[in-house]
Amino acid sequence: MLKKEQNELVTQTGPGTPMGELFRSYWMPILLSEELPENDCPPVRVKVLSERLIAFRDSEGKLGLIDEFCAHRGVSLWFGRNEECGLRCPYHGWKFDTSGQCVDVPSEPAESGYAKKVKLKAYPLLEKGGVLWTYMGPTESTPPEPEWEFATVPLNQSFTSKRLQDNNWLQAMEGGIDSSHVSFLHRGDLNNDPLFKGAAGNKYNLSDSKPVFEVVEAPGGLFIGARRNAEDGKFYWRITPWVMPCFTMVPPRGDHPIHGHFWVPMDDETCMAWSFDYHPTRPLSDNERQAMKDGKGIHVRYVPGTYRPLANKDNDYLIDREAQKAGRTYSGVEGIGMQDASLQESMGPICDRTKENLVGTDNGIIMARHRLMRAAKALADKGELPPGRTVEDMKVRSAAVILPPDQPYKDAAKEALIAKVGVKQTSV
Amino acid sequence: MLLSESARVTTAQEARFRIQTPNSKPRAVKVIALDSEAARLVDEISKQPWNGAAFFKSLSFEQSGGDNVKAWLNDLAGHTSDLVGEIANADCVVVIAGAGEDAASVSVIAELCTQYHKTLVALVVPQGSYEQDTVDRSLKALRPYAKMLVIAHERDYIEAMLTALRA
Repeated sequence: MLKKEQNELVTQTGPGTPMGELFRSYWMPILLSEELPENDCPPVRVKVLSERLIAFRDSEGKLGLIDEFCAHRGVSLWFGRNEECGLRCPYHGWKFDTSGQCVDVPSEPAESGYAKKVKLKAYPLLEKGGVLWTYMGPTESTPPEPEWEFATVPLNQSFTSKRLQDNNWLQAMEGGIDSSHVSFLHRGDLNNDPLFKGAAGNKYNLSDSKPVFEVVEAPGGLFIGARRNAEDGKFYWRITPWVMPCFTMVPPRGDHPIHGHFWVPMDDETCMAWSFDYHPTRPLSDNERQAMKDGKGIHVRYVPGTYRPLANKDNDYLIDREAQKAGRTYSGVEGIGMQDASLQESMGPICDRTKENLVGTDNGIIMARHRLMRAAKALADKGELPPGRTVEDMKVRSAAVILPPDQPYKDAAKEALIAKVGVKQTSV
Repeated sequence: MLLSESARVTTAQEARFRIQTPNSKPRAVKVIALDSEAARLVDEISKQPWNGAAFFKSLSFEQSGGDNVKAWLNDLAGHTSDLVGEIANADCVVVIAGAGEDAASVSVIAELCTQYHKTLVALVVPQGSYEQDTVDRSLKALRPYAKMLVIAHERDYIEAMLTALRA
């Protein structure tokens, strides 16, 4: 459980809040490159960390992320004309460039310099790995650019999607570090989903539903090892990295692509669940890529033209009680991504953690919350920049290994947990 | 358009109608320091208000007279406690070890946890500057027994964990 004030601290990410300032210490994924596909394409509304913004790619390909609303009379620039290196408000023609600088106020003489005195709030926007990233903190504290492995492998080796999720970021992220739910919620998919099935490790998940956990602090976050029994007295370890504040990876299965998530707050009651798959050493096959587009693995199918899942709360997640009864799915909801999202949304917009009853095996979640709160307070009180901002922190991988009982995973799998160019993932 | 049941019940407005009656009874968490370094930490932590958590120091094999589990624990006032009784009445058992300290007595505690079907959580707490070897030694001693094993680099993590467990 958390006390009420602690729950508020970790769930509120708007401007000026301690956790909001912590989030503003990192580069965050906010758009897929496909959303701004070409120069002068339509602008896109963005809500992140409780701020309403507009993103656009100008005539020269420069990316802009600025206050959504025109400085003149507050019209949404989503209606704007993206032309001649700027976004022009259709109401009275005010125009803004990618830095948020007003460059034209048609009603005023150009020589008056009026436009120069108007500037909208703007944040940097950079493109890497098919994703557009922003950093919303002080310029002088800008961290290194994103170096996550999924964003640095060749584009034909990765696939990234995102889904709108109607709940606070933390309850979504906590699902990403809660390895014990896999043996229940996702058990129907381990042997059926094309992006999971066939891995030798699946049988350990299915045969041992009471894993033993070992939580190890890393400089940028945590490693959470879940240990299940394997043959000959050995242990099957699934090791989940969490990097502050909201990056998690799923341990791999066989030669399937590795996957993971970013859990990015849009506001305190909505988040964007980013899901990525990549293979460190080979292009994704056509079948794999198609399966991801079809919503298999950790991805979802969309309501056409949106990033909202097709199975959503408005249609009761298309729950199939017959499938639940027959054991084809454990919860009746189809797809690993939506199985998670449906349950996390059911907790309510902001989970009331004053009422929860954690158990000893929830220590990964307890430790993550503790580190988040400590880092947010240290930033607010002492200006200490939080962990998880270095390139080394980002060069992380999940792993699945079988080890003799006397070998600690933090040592035996140490190299497997570091992303290295051209080196295949360690998997079972 | 009518909202689906799932859409309607997950609004912030509907959250107001969630039952506020306490949904669990106080649980018996037994916190056992395995060595003198851990005992010092446990002593400090025990001074805070807790929800029924009980704090002990485990005696070494020698002090308890070998296998006398009736006299295996000392409470913080120095009174001897019966390990069997404490474990049998526990909902969760947390053992705390200083890095590199002698954690051998965990085996006796773990045996009883197994017998009484109790979850054993183990924390290793390195203090100040420490050698990684010392942490590894502690982990090795605890790993065979703990359902959850954690390296907690700060004392305040122990408090956070006990609070989270409603100890």
